[in-house]
Amino acid sequence: MKPGICLRNSDVETLYHDEAVSFEKASDEQLVRLALDGEEDAFTVLVRRYQRRLTAFLSQLVGDVELARELSQEAFIRSWSALERFDPKYRFSTWLFRIGHNLGIDHLRRRRLKTVALYRTDRQGDEVELVVEDHTKDPLGHFENTELAGSLKQSIDGLRPEYRELVMLRHFGCLSYQEIAEFKEMPLGTVKNKLFRAHAVLRKALEAFL
Amino acid sequence: MANNCEAIQELLTEYLGETERLSEEERRHVELCPQCCEVAAGENALGLIFAGVLPPADLTMASRVRAATHAARRRRRLLALLPVAASLLFALLGVVMLGGLPGGSLLALLPVWSSQGWVSLAASVGDWNTVFTTAAGATTALLSPGVLAAAIVVSLLGFAVVAFVARRWRRVSPWHDID
Repeated sequence: MKPGICLRNSDVETLYHDEAVSFEKASDEQLVRLALDGEEDAFTVLVRRYQRRLTAFLSQLVGDVELARELSQEAFIRSWSALERFDPKYRFSTWLFRIGHNLGIDHLRRRRLKTVALYRTDRQGDEVELVVEDHTKDPLGHFENTELAGSLKQSIDGLRPEYRELVMLRHFGCLSYQEIAEFKEMPLGTVKNKLFRAHAVLRKALEAFL
Repeated sequence: MANNCEAIQELLTEYLGETERLSEEERRHVELCPQCCEVAAGENALGLIFAGVLPPADLTMASRVRAATHAARRRRRLLALLPVAASLLFALLGVVMLGGLPGGSLLALLPVWSSQGWVSLAASVGDWNTVFTTAAGATTALLSPGVLAAAIVVSLLGFAVVAFVARRWRRVSPWHDID
């Protein structure tokens, strides 16, 4: 079944009664329909299906993988609570990512209000910013090749913001071009072109690792 | 040819250098064009790097989400009872203000062929009627006309709130059949 196509009742009936068809194989739309019918396992499958992608995307957005996990969890809870209002004109993935994205942006706004710069004075009397490094929170902390992780982070950070977000959605959120176009409300051609340009920059920046 | 190269390189970017996903003609072009061939190799390597960016799965997240949704569902059920409770309360208040139920006359209204079940039902309604009538008498004796008028206004406002909440909570099914 193509994504975005509404289900006939018979499709869901098949999923209920045909034990050979597991939830894992069901489309997002089928799982949403089952979850709306009170089948909790269907929503659990959606959580499993999207948690790593959403966490990866959000960890790039907020720069902290633990916080990204919390935000992902909150995004799932909110999506469950609002499932009845889900508009099947859109894909579940883009809807979920939008909820997660909004949570991330809200968090960044709040954090900006609360942020206190940490400075100390060195022996010469100059102010030096304190940098607290915590690799467990690093979004790419699980990379074995730390040098590559550092370069990747640097090259993504160096992208123009409009390119960076598309790269995050594509490679951390694992969204298709079509899904990104929906998410960003942007023509598909523009998404293709921008990602093409972003990749050209990344290929150059990561030349040593390619 | 340059335009063709750009179109193919856009595709190579989308497919992360997987030339198998290109058409026969596009694949032949990549084999012959050094720039496109270089992009294909670069995209392939970039794809391998991006393949490792997903963090390890959080095995407890699904159960945490489930626990939270259970709690939310319980809260929602309790909240759903509020309009019902409010409706009952306001209905009772209205009955009291109107002087109670039309008690014993209910029995007379029943059809002649009513069975024993109807009679016992009417009797129990009659019992309740006594309770309501007493409560109504006590309320009328206790409340001044001004307070009574205020109570009527509060009742009407209550009904409006219940109607508003009921409208907001109406289930909107996002699914529609395509046949």
